[in-house]
Amino acid sequence: MKLLFFMALAATLSAAVFAQDLPKWMSNRGRDEVFYKRAPYNWAINRIPDFARDMFATGVGHGMAYEALVTGKAKELETKTFATIDAVLYNPPRYPIDENAISPRFGQKYGSLEKVFDWAHILHFQAIDVLAFPGWSDAQKEAEIDRLWEFYQSEPFAVTGLPMNMEYLDSFSYSGKFRREYPKVNGLFWGYHWLQTVNYDMLYRVPVADQRGQYDLIGKWYRETELYRTDRDFMPMTAELSPRFAKRFPQIANAFDNLHMLHDNVNDILAQENLSDQQKAIEVSKAIYRVLASTHQDEASGQGEPVTLHDHRHPITVPGMGMMKGSDENTMYMSGMGWMEMGECAHCSILLPDTGPWGATVSANGWTMTVRCLMCARDMAAETPGRAIIRAATEDDNKLLVMISDEEGNWTSNIKDVVFLEKFGEHPECSTWSRAFTSKAAFDKFITETPELEGTTPMTLKEWSEQFHGKPDTYRKIDKPNPYRSADGGQL
Amino acid sequence: MKRIPLVSGIAFLAAVATASDHNNLEKGRPLSFDDAYSIAYRSVEFQSGVSFETYRKQSPIYGLKTEVQFGIAKNKDISIGFEPSFMTSSGKAGGNAVELSYFEGLSRETSRAAAMGYRLEMALPVSGGKGLDLHARGIITKTLNHYDKVHLNLDITHATQPTSDEKRTTVGLILGYSSPIGYPKLFDRTFLAEIGIAQSREAGSGWYGWVGVGLRKQVSATGVMDVGISSDFFRAANQERSPFRFTLGFSRSY
Repeated sequence: MKLLFFMALAATLSAAVFAQDLPKWMSNRGRDEVFYKRAPYNWAINRIPDFARDMFATGVGHGMAYEALVTGKAKELETKTFATIDAVLYNPPRYPIDENAISPRFGQKYGSLEKVFDWAHILHFQAIDVLAFPGWSDAQKEAEIDRLWEFYQSEPFAVTGLPMNMEYLDSFSYSGKFRREYPKVNGLFWGYHWLQTVNYDMLYRVPVADQRGQYDLIGKWYRETELYRTDRDFMPMTAELSPRFAKRFPQIANAFDNLHMLHDNVNDILAQENLSDQQKAIEVSKAIYRVLASTHQDEASGQGEPVTLHDHRHPITVPGMGMMKGSDENTMYMSGMGWMEMGECAHCSILLPDTGPWGATVSANGWTMTVRCLMCARDMAAETPGRAIIRAATEDDNKLLVMISDEEGNWTSNIKDVVFLEKFGEHPECSTWSRAFTSKAAFDKFITETPELEGTTPMTLKEWSEQFHGKPDTYRKIDKPNPYRSADGGQL
Repeated sequence: MKRIPLVSGIAFLAAVATASDHNNLEKGRPLSFDDAYSIAYRSVEFQSGVSFETYRKQSPIYGLKTEVQFGIAKNKDISIGFEPSFMTSSGKAGGNAVELSYFEGLSRETSRAAAMGYRLEMALPVSGGKGLDLHARGIITKTLNHYDKVHLNLDITHATQPTSDEKRTTVGLILGYSSPIGYPKLFDRTFLAEIGIAQSREAGSGWYGWVGVGLRKQVSATGVMDVGISSDFFRAANQERSPFRFTLGFSRSY
C-alpha cells in the first residue's frame, strides 16, 4: 500500500515538475480555434474532387480510431472500427470534417493535442489549396506558401520546421506498440500520411490542368494499395514522397513529418494498457512539447547532438528530412527501396546535378525517386511492375513535363509537342544527352548550342517510350541490413 | 423598446456562435439556443435567414435577419445584426433594431467539466423605439453519452426605457439538444431540438413556453443551410399562442 502511495506521489511530483516546462497555452481552458488565412485560393482542393474527398476522409479515420482508443474499444480497432473507417474511405465525405465532432471524448481528454493537430492540418490544406489554385503563377504560389509558413508559425501550437531525429522520437518505452498490435489501423494512419505527403509533388509547379489526371492514378494507388499496407517499416516521410516540394520548402516538410511522428507517439501512448489516464495525459503532453516550435526556439537546422531531442541534423542533400534510424549524412533506409544514397540518382548512382536541369522523379509502387535524366526515369519505371508517373524538367523552368504510363509502359504527356533527346553515351554525362524539350524548336536550339550532339534527331514520345537500356553499370546497391527489422523479418 | 412577440420572445437578439460548420450551433440558426463556443479567431461569418410566424387571430409575421460576426480573439467574437420584421396586415415593420453582441467562450468541455460561455448583447432601436435592450446569456454545453449534447441557456433581458405596457426585466431558460445524423456514414448534418420558457415582455402577462426542432446541413466547405420549426405550447391567458413558426437560413464563413 505504501509503495503504491509513493509511486503515485512520485508520478504526481514528476508531473508537477514537467508541467512547469510546458508552454502556458497548453493549460488554456478555451477551445482556441484559429481560422485559416483568408485568401482567394481557399478550397481550391475541390478542383480535384476525388482528391479532396479522400483528404476529407483522412480526418474521419483519425477521429474514429482515436475515439475508439479513449472509449475502451481498443479491442475492436482491428475489426469493427477498421470496417467502419474502411466504409467511409470507400465512400468519402463531400465536405471537410470536423474531427472534434467525430471524436468528442478524445477532444475532451486531449484538448491541447487537438489544437496542434487542427492547426497543422490547416497548413496541410492551405498549402494544397495554393498549389491547386489556377489564378496564380508558380512564383506567386511559392511566395504565398512562404507566407503561409510564417502565418502557421505565428501561433504557439505550431510544430517546429527543424528536422527532428526520427530514431529519437520513436525510441520511447511505448514506441511501436500501436503498429505491432493494430497493424491494419496503423496501416490506415500511414496510408493517410502517404496521401498527405505524396500530393505535394503532384501539385508543385504542375499546371493546374495536369494535376487532376495524376490523381486518377495516385488515388487508385492510395485506395487500392497504400491504405492497406501493413509491411511499411516506418511512416512515410514528406521528402521521400514529394522530394521536389521538400527541397523547396524544407521547413514545411519537416513540420509535416514531426506532426506525423506526433500522431505515431500518441497512437503508441493510447495503446498502452498499463498506463492510467493521468499517465497517458502526461506522456501526450511530453510528446507535444518535443515537437513544438517553441521548444526548439533559436536552434538551427543541421546542428545538434545525435539522437537527442535537439538533434536537427539532416542528410546533407535533404534539409527537409530529419535523420532516420541508421542513417548518416549521405544514406538512409527507405521503405520499399532499401538503402539509398540521398545525393545520387536512384537508377544510375551518379551524383544528381547541382546546375542545369534538375532531372526527374519517378513515382511507382508507392515510392518516389529522384533521377538524373529522362532515360533513367523511363528505364526505372519500366523495371517496376505497374503504372508510373514521371515528372521531369524541360528546357523551360516554368514547364514541368508530367508523363503517366499504362500497364504496358505506354506514356501520355501533358506537353503535346514534347520531343526527346537521347543519344546514348556515358552515364556520368546522361543529364546532357537525355533530356525533354517542350517543342522541336527548343530541341533544335539546344542541339545548335551543343556541338557534340550535332546530327542528333529528336524522338517523339512514342519512339522514346520504346527505348530501354536496362540497369546502368554505374548503379551500385548499398548492401546493409534493414535497420527496422530483425534477421527473421520481425520489427525491431 | 416595443418589439413583436417572436422577436422579443424567442429570437431575442443577434445570433452568436461558431464558424459555419453544421456542428457549431448558433442562436437563431435555426433554433434559439446556442452552444458555448465562439467562432474561430480571425474568421468572419455572414448569416442570413427568413422566418414566418402564424397566429390564429392576428396576421402572420415575417422576419428577415442578417448578421455579421467577427472572431476578434481566441474564444471571443463580436457581431452586428439587423433584424426587421413585417406584419402582413399593415405591411409595416413590426420591430427594427441594430444588435451588437459580444461572446466569450470561457472553457471547452473536458472529461470533468462542461463547456461554458456567455454573451452580452445590446439592441439599439432604429425605428420608433426608445432606449436599449440589454441581454445577457449564460451557456453550458455538455456531452451526454457520446455524440448527443445538451445546451443550457439562461437569459436575462433588461429594457432601459420600457413602455408602460412592457416589463423592465425578463428572464428565460432554454434546454437545447443536438446530435449528428448519419454517423458513421454521413458527416454533414446535425439534428437540433429545444424546449424553453421565458417571461413575456408584456406587463401583466406571465410565462410562455415553446418547443422546436431543426436541422443544420453542410452545403459546401464553408456554408451551412438550416431549417427549423417551433411552436408555443403555452402562453398566458391574455396572450395569443403561436402554433407554428418556421425558419430558413444560411451561414457562410470567410
